[in-house]
Amino acid sequence: MLAEIKNVSKTYETDSNKISVLDDINFSVEDNDFICIVGPSGCGKSTLLRIIVGLEKPTSGEVFFKGEVISSDNPKVAMVFQNFALFPWLTVQENIELVLESKKQGRELEKTACKYIKAVGLDGFEKVYPRELSGGMKQRVGFARALAVEPVLLCMDEPFSSLDALTSQNLKDELLMLWADANMPPDAVIMVTHNVEEAVYMSNRIIILSPRPGKVVADLKIELERPRNRKDPEFYRWVDKVYSLIV
Amino acid sequence: MIFPKATISEIIGLLEAVNDAGGVEDAARLAGDFDLELDEILPSIDGAELLGFATVTDGNIELTEDARKLLDAGIRERKKIIRDKVAGVEIIKELKNKFMESDEHRIKKEDALGFLQKNISTTDIESYFKIIINWTRHGGLIGYNSDSEEIYLMPGE
Repeated sequence: MLAEIKNVSKTYETDSNKISVLDDINFSVEDNDFICIVGPSGCGKSTLLRIIVGLEKPTSGEVFFKGEVISSDNPKVAMVFQNFALFPWLTVQENIELVLESKKQGRELEKTACKYIKAVGLDGFEKVYPRELSGGMKQRVGFARALAVEPVLLCMDEPFSSLDALTSQNLKDELLMLWADANMPPDAVIMVTHNVEEAVYMSNRIIILSPRPGKVVADLKIELERPRNRKDPEFYRWVDKVYSLIV
Repeated sequence: MIFPKATISEIIGLLEAVNDAGGVEDAARLAGDFDLELDEILPSIDGAELLGFATVTDGNIELTEDARKLLDAGIRERKKIIRDKVAGVEIIKELKNKFMESDEHRIKKEDALGFLQKNISTTDIESYFKIIINWTRHGGLIGYNSDSEEIYLMPGE
């Protein structure tokens, strides 16, 4: 088992009341899992992801990564953000090298950055600043930066939702190509999305959360062969099934 | 001339969607699938046609053999295919020729904008410049340095 989310609950306290966001979440993450977490707006999907990567602490319960309680500086877990989170004053290569500086130096640092720049098709863009990039290219930098730390677990929070529909389609396929490449990290992916079609297209497991406070209402194994076709009736049967569990 | 205002990613996304539909798809239906207006996907259709990845007849978009090769290829191979296609676009060939005439194989952005303005009918030449640089960077042909505001031939060209 790669990671275990055990009895995780999260409550936010204000002056006058308590708001329960997540309620007793339990599931495990195995090697080769591509898990999508879906659920209605406000069900705590992103909060759960932030707890899994160690950026937020649960009110109760724990997240274990390879048997150890997760911490925010775990180098084996990387995150891709919805809004890319690039430093605008750094070039593409510098944005990627920045996350490697604590682990690698000099030629090795540059070599690793270049390897992942090439892997996502960004070669030629090394010296470019984020302001000059389209949304799709910015998120490719986000992928390269996350992969460059060679994570075992990659977590992504709505990575396609800031992109236009056609670019998003292209990036999903490219991400699946990287996922299918045995020479590339990670061993497992957890992705939060509000888009059910996207979840069925990308994942081999879908965890469905209830409205707030989020509870796991289903943990589905998606038994569709890859490459998947969004026009396939069987694909739509899965989409319908997930919708019926959310509504 | 009119140049399609679509990025390479948008064009490939469109080709993937047509491929899902079996290789031929009605443009209006495709737009509907993406919750887009037809005129929002037209630049991507025009771009696919200009690069030789699609033909359009009576509103139907059909993938070419080159598009199938592109979609079957990995990320690295796709880049090479796109490079060859982008290099064959007339206005990009002419822009590249301007470099070859210059001593250092680089020219100022304002000169490139002047050249594009003569060839593309638009009041918004800056956004076309961005799109053309998106295509040429994808293909590893022509880069742009925003500090020196110069465009240049990329290494290996």
